[in-house]
Amino acid sequence: MKELRTRLIAAIVAGLALGGTALAQVEITYWHGFTGPDLPVMEELVAEFNATHPDIHVTAQAIAWGPLFQQLEPAVAAGQAPDVVALNEDVITGFILRGAVAEMTPDMLAAAGVEGERFFPSLWETGVVDGKVYGVPIHSVMLVMYYNKDLFEEAGLDPDDPPSNREEFLEAATALTVDANGNHPGDPGFDPSSLQRYAVGIPTPWMGGTIAYAVAAQNGVTFVGSADEGYAPTFDSEAAQEAVQFLVDIGSEHHFGPADATEGSEIDAFRQGVAAMNFNGVWMLSQYRDAGLDFGVAAFPQLGTERYATWGGSSHLVLPVQRNPDPAKVEAAMTFIGWMTQPEQNLKWTTAGGLPTQPEVASSPEYAENPMASLSDAMANTYVLTGFPFLAQFRGAWDAAFEAALHGTAVDQALSQGVSEAAAAIQEGLLSLP
Amino acid sequence: MSGPSTDTAVVAPAAAASRPARRSRLRPRVDGHPLEPYLYLLPHAVLFLVFVVYPVGFAIYVSLHRWNILSDQQPFVGAEFYTRLLTPGTPQFTFFWKTMGNTALFTVITTPLLIVCALGLALLLHRPIPGRSFFRAVFFLPTILSVSVMGLLWKWMFENRTGLINVLLDMLPFTEPVAFLTTIGLAWVPIIVGTVWWTVGFNMVLYSAALAAIPQAYYEAAAIDGAGAWAKFRYVTWPQLNPVTLFATVTTTIASFQLFGQPHVMTAGGPLRTTQSVMMFITEEAFTRFQFSSAAAMSLMFGALLLVVTGFQFRLTLRDLGRGRA
Repeated sequence: MKELRTRLIAAIVAGLALGGTALAQVEITYWHGFTGPDLPVMEELVAEFNATHPDIHVTAQAIAWGPLFQQLEPAVAAGQAPDVVALNEDVITGFILRGAVAEMTPDMLAAAGVEGERFFPSLWETGVVDGKVYGVPIHSVMLVMYYNKDLFEEAGLDPDDPPSNREEFLEAATALTVDANGNHPGDPGFDPSSLQRYAVGIPTPWMGGTIAYAVAAQNGVTFVGSADEGYAPTFDSEAAQEAVQFLVDIGSEHHFGPADATEGSEIDAFRQGVAAMNFNGVWMLSQYRDAGLDFGVAAFPQLGTERYATWGGSSHLVLPVQRNPDPAKVEAAMTFIGWMTQPEQNLKWTTAGGLPTQPEVASSPEYAENPMASLSDAMANTYVLTGFPFLAQFRGAWDAAFEAALHGTAVDQALSQGVSEAAAAIQEGLLSLP
Repeated sequence: MSGPSTDTAVVAPAAAASRPARRSRLRPRVDGHPLEPYLYLLPHAVLFLVFVVYPVGFAIYVSLHRWNILSDQQPFVGAEFYTRLLTPGTPQFTFFWKTMGNTALFTVITTPLLIVCALGLALLLHRPIPGRSFFRAVFFLPTILSVSVMGLLWKWMFENRTGLINVLLDMLPFTEPVAFLTTIGLAWVPIIVGTVWWTVGFNMVLYSAALAAIPQAYYEAAAIDGAGAWAKFRYVTWPQLNPVTLFATVTTTIASFQLFGQPHVMTAGGPLRTTQSVMMFITEEAFTRFQFSSAAAMSLMFGALLLVVTGFQFRLTLRDLGRGRA
């Protein structure tokens, strides 16, 4: 009995003490879309922040990216926006231009210990519009090449030296593609309808558009004009045509893979050891590991003609616009963003499958054990060609144009149709800006 | 006040005796408060106003303005977004009517399938065969799946080259794999097969219940008149099922027009937007391109078209119903 009473008193005292600290605490809310295998890592990071910052308490809410983007603007309009939100590269500029995201002034960034120079420039630029900073990169992904080492050896290729440019790719792909009679593409009697093993298929629509985006970027294509040019789409240039034609030819001309590939059939074919190479995002790593393959991860090869580039994606922490901004909450939010994007936290985040956002992390000895570490060079030279406004308007039209080309529409015609579709959509996007 | 009212044994028979009298009265009660009926209607009326009338009214407002949720100004543009839907050459015109056509095609194919297959299954399972409940459960079970689960399942079945069906087609002699997901026209096969498998159970249950409710005497009378199995179905079963057929046709048509999840998961609207439904396009306009006014105009246009189709269907079927009873 006595013991119970002591316990009760202790509990009440503890409760009061907690209540006391809670009063001094700044409560902030944080929305993010890391709902996959990366969720536990994000939750650990938030818990660690709360444990090390007694005066701030962050309540994190994981919402799938799609609904999160849908809910953000109504929440801002209703004055119910969270204090911190993670936004992806393909939507961030639109949210900035429509006035849903608040600027982070140089003073605020300095106070939170965020230095732009620390990050990969292309990632940092994604959160910058007109020289003003709106977001700090927290997460980065890219298009890479997975390749099956056993199939490389079978074809007499060096499994530690995968193709890195167009010439090497064409050579390797010829060796890797075999029909039912053991013939390679170009051999007399080669039958493309009975591929036994093949190099790689170029799928539709989104992943194919992503691959085409990377190769066109390697050809030096600018997809959409600058703000002064009214963001006029320009991806029907000769350089873009060359890139798209090359990718279309992989299936229909060279027969290095099926002409009717989908992203799903390519993933299956790679897992089953039928396709020797697979172009996909870094996020496929654990899936392929589970398939029990002996495979390597390499930078997406330079199939274009001008420079190295690959498709990259990213997430950024931003401050939504508040109807009545509370300076204490804004400061706490910036403290959280600053802490979350420090090298130490970024290193921990890479265990969830994302790439480093800063060179310091990429070159750290701790990161060297990560299977993606070999991509560090590519990362430093990656053009993350996302982040311009109306990306959705551009991207839908680009994917449709590439799909049409893969389905047999003449490449110049497919791209000029895509450009006029994108131009009309971007025009309307401009009209609806505040 | 005192004695009898506390004695339930006395009150109860009296109340019971008065009940049949009230029931048989043809005129409505007049002893209640005149507002009483409206009180009963109030809960639904409130929900209807808040969740139907207000959103529709707001959508009309949004569709007539260039609406941006975060801006102070929502300039009035009148019927601009409707005009675009009716002006050839605009992206809205091109894709709205293209996806509208896709959706109509899907509806025209799936609705009869979902009625005929459901009726067929219900008739088969109406006979007292062993394991009847088991089979009913088997056919009904898919309806509880979410559209994403069902979509992924059938996508895996029909996946180009590596799907189960293509693996089988590859193994069997005389058949070749078919690129279902990327061939114009064929991309509808997984969507339609999956949808029928997924939703046929609901209509089947409706038909099963209706079949059980047909009086056995009708069949006996028909047998005496010398009716065979077909004549019994044609002149007894089918007319008796008419109300259910009307209900199932209307609800299935509306559900089919709202096609979204199946192509979203299986084909992403491809190849070349040939399986994109109008709901997918409206969602894309609203939440990918943030063109809320345009999307609102499309939704209202779509809603109006759906009303016309449903009204037409009602008239046709009601006429049939009248004939069935005559």
